[in-house]
Amino acid sequence: MNLRQKILLMFSLTVIVAVAAVAWTVSVRVRSLFDSLDRDRTAALVNQFVHEYQRRGDEVAERVDRMTRDERVIRMAYDLGHGGDASMYLTDAGTLAQEYELNYLELVQPDGSIVSSAQWPAHFGYKEQAIGNAGQPFFLKEEILGQDPSETGLFVVRAVPGIESSLYIVAGERLDSAFISNLSTPAGSSLYLYRNSTSGFDASSLTGAGGAIAEAARYAGAINQARASGVQSSARIMAADGESLNLTAIPLKSANGSVIAVLLVANSRKELVEAQQHIRAIAYGVASAGILFAILISLWVAARVSRPVEQLAQAAQDVAAGDWEVQVPVASRDEVGLLAESFNRMTRELVSQRERLVQSERVAAWRELARRLAHELKNPIFPLQLTVENMIRAKQVSPEMFEEVFAEGSAALTEEIANLKAVIGRFSDFSKLPKPQVSDLDLRDVLNRVIRLYQPTLEQREHPIRVVAKLPESPLPVSVDAELMHRAISNLVLNAMDAMPEGGTLSITAARSGGNVRTTVADTGLGMTAEECERLFTPYYTTKQAGTGLGLAIVQSVIADHHGAIVVESHPGSGTAFVIDLPAIGVGSGERT
Amino acid sequence: MAHTRPHYGGTLHVETQADPWQAADSIGRRLVFDSLTRVDEPGGVQPALAVRWKEQNGDHRWQFWLRPGVHFHDGSPLTADSVQQSLERSCKQCPWTSVRALGDSVVITTAAPDPVLPQELARSDYAIAAQDATGDAVGTGPFRFVSNANYMLTLAAVDDTWQGRPFVDTIEITGRRVVRTQWLDLAAGHADLVDVPVEGVRLAQQEHLNILQSGNCDLLALTVARSGVLAEDAQREAIALAVDRAALYNAIFQKQGEMTASLLPDALTGYGFLFPVGRDLVRAQGLHEAGGGAPLTLALDDANPTMQLTAERVALNLREAGFRVQVAVRAPNAEASAAAELALRRIHLESADARAALEQMLAAFGQPLTDESGDPATLYRMEASFIETHQVVPLLYLPRSYGVGARVHGLRLSPDGVPLLADVSLEDAK
Repeated sequence: MNLRQKILLMFSLTVIVAVAAVAWTVSVRVRSLFDSLDRDRTAALVNQFVHEYQRRGDEVAERVDRMTRDERVIRMAYDLGHGGDASMYLTDAGTLAQEYELNYLELVQPDGSIVSSAQWPAHFGYKEQAIGNAGQPFFLKEEILGQDPSETGLFVVRAVPGIESSLYIVAGERLDSAFISNLSTPAGSSLYLYRNSTSGFDASSLTGAGGAIAEAARYAGAINQARASGVQSSARIMAADGESLNLTAIPLKSANGSVIAVLLVANSRKELVEAQQHIRAIAYGVASAGILFAILISLWVAARVSRPVEQLAQAAQDVAAGDWEVQVPVASRDEVGLLAESFNRMTRELVSQRERLVQSERVAAWRELARRLAHELKNPIFPLQLTVENMIRAKQVSPEMFEEVFAEGSAALTEEIANLKAVIGRFSDFSKLPKPQVSDLDLRDVLNRVIRLYQPTLEQREHPIRVVAKLPESPLPVSVDAELMHRAISNLVLNAMDAMPEGGTLSITAARSGGNVRTTVADTGLGMTAEECERLFTPYYTTKQAGTGLGLAIVQSVIADHHGAIVVESHPGSGTAFVIDLPAIGVGSGERT
Repeated sequence: MAHTRPHYGGTLHVETQADPWQAADSIGRRLVFDSLTRVDEPGGVQPALAVRWKEQNGDHRWQFWLRPGVHFHDGSPLTADSVQQSLERSCKQCPWTSVRALGDSVVITTAAPDPVLPQELARSDYAIAAQDATGDAVGTGPFRFVSNANYMLTLAAVDDTWQGRPFVDTIEITGRRVVRTQWLDLAAGHADLVDVPVEGVRLAQQEHLNILQSGNCDLLALTVARSGVLAEDAQREAIALAVDRAALYNAIFQKQGEMTASLLPDALTGYGFLFPVGRDLVRAQGLHEAGGGAPLTLALDDANPTMQLTAERVALNLREAGFRVQVAVRAPNAEASAAAELALRRIHLESADARAALEQMLAAFGQPLTDESGDPATLYRMEASFIETHQVVPLLYLPRSYGVGARVHGLRLSPDGVPLLADVSLEDAK
């Protein structure tokens, strides 16, 4: 990923993170506001319910109190108190309930026997336990109605005054959908009432202002929790139409504290969801615009910032590739401009130092060459000088021996001159190393030729050197100049021979190694230090007493001309191995692999 | 003396809860149609359209001689052929196998000896009717049919009826009238005769209504299907033991009539007390425990509030015994056997003869009477053996009561509780 892409990514991420953070913050805040609104709505509805509950309870109490003053009721209480026939009043509760607009009315004798029941006329003669609540303002009670489902009502119990304990009135008003429908619920809110008629959840027991509730089972969780715990519980559900609802279930308890109904407040989260969707849409829009903006900004920044950096990077790559004279334009005076100036100064300095280094290396090379020439030339010249001085001395001191001395001296002079020619020839050869004339061949042929050439000599020395060749059965096709390669391998063999004056083993192995053909020439000689190994291929460097230091330089030059590589592996006392890698070619195709 | 002498003329206004024309024993039909015989107040069989009868062949063959000079309301004469056709039309669960015209008499043959056939022929089910030119039924009674619209039945007096002309000229019977409204109309003088349900007798007395009450003539009974869960005798017995007749008698029916566990009233048979009316809830619960808990339906044909209350109370009794019972009002035209395991029925007893009455009751519950002798001991054994099957649980025998206006004179009730309006005269009639 380049700098421009990084800048683009950075800007985009910055914008997205910023927009997401803002959207999240706003969303959380909106949710918090809606939750607060939801709580307020629920509290308002509950307060309204409690107010209505109180009002209805007071109304029932007022009606029952009025009934206790009704002449008919007083007469009935008097009659029953004096042993009157209760069956005479079997239908009176129905009449009174209608007149006093009560859903439930039972006339009960002090022993609890029902004289007359408006809501369940057939229940006469049975016991009504609720008269124990006489005197309470009002209370909730579950009313069982024979074969019909039980109902829940607001009840008041009063004894008819004046006639002591002769008649009780147990009256009430139904707590049902009609009760709920009288409450004004704000838009998005609903109020439901669950009658706790069975031990399990009964969907038909849940009613709203409009009667039965569709898919009432969805509310079972919150209702059951309130029924089980006896305290207010909340839940969030998905309604049948996919709308999300916040539910608050409030248990309604009877006089003995048992939960007989549950008030359920359902607040729609539609507005919240819509607001969140709106915020999310805005966030997406802003993020998209931000990313577009980031692209434009990054392009602009790239033009201002990344381009000089890219130029610097390109210049650095050029320097690495060897073009030390490259310069970058300085377009600003900021840090990037200073960096460009520094880079330009650095390349100028590098060029200058390289020229100085070349100069010094050139001088050093000349010095080394002079030293080596002096050394190489000094050795044959000294015998020449002695021979000439012997010949002069013989001419002067014993002319009779001059001829003999002359003959010997001439022969020595000729031999030493030949040595001088040889030295000069070797230097000349290094300077005139020809370009390789490559051809496809089997490297084994080159190696076998070298082995055949040197093996007799090596094994017939005073201290013989055993030659071990490990060549594969299959050809080792390479594209090389056979003569140059023969000369390079021969050089390595001769070096090995010099390294083993006391004899040893010369190993020549070759094999395919990946896409190369690897040839190893190893001896069991004295070995070299790491420093010697490092300088081994430097021209004119030698570790031998008699050597030009050009042999391994020539080998390295030949290998390099064949696009190969040579390394040395050696440690003092453990011999030396030269490893040559040459590019292999496909068998028969002549192509390099 | 003047006010005691009956006056002719005037219109008698009658109001009733029931349809005045629908049922065979309705008040309207009893005035328009006559039977071959009639039952007098002591319960004896008296001649009506038949002036005499004679049994032959060991009560297998009965010959009834017709009253001469009787005409239907369309003017056609009463003949043996018309009587034969009428009886054949009305025969559904009739006791005879054939009816044959023989001169001025009809011969009725029964499969088994039937010593009480004359009493049975007094029932309104076997009233004699002919069809006029338009296909409507016409009778020979003291009143003829004029109109019936919106439960308002109008009958006109027939001048030349064999029984003699009735005192009133017209009778207007308004049906489907709420009891409380009837009483208000009676108090206001808009009605001369109104219904007083037995459960309202005491209240009517408190309101000082002039009440005329019959003997016990309506049996209130619970029928129990011999199928499903109730196929077991123990379950049916549990139902019979669970019913609390005392609560029905004391509270709902305001101590009117009598509690009964027999099909016939004690006054008719004298052995009614042998059938125990008490409740044994513990035994009922014990018997039911061994049975299944399938839900039962208690059906009633009459949507009357008192009948509904009675059914609810019976259901409550049965629930105490462990039965799961649901009360349902049957549609008016539903089959009597429609799907209900239990049914609350009110059966009107027309016969004043014990054997005829038992035959009628058993027929009402789909049982034949196999006794030939008709002696009380045999009747008791037959009834007891049927009651012990617990297919029917008799609850109460109830009278019929009427509120009578001040201007009505001479009103009597038939032994089966139907007002004899042909004998009524109005005080202010001229």
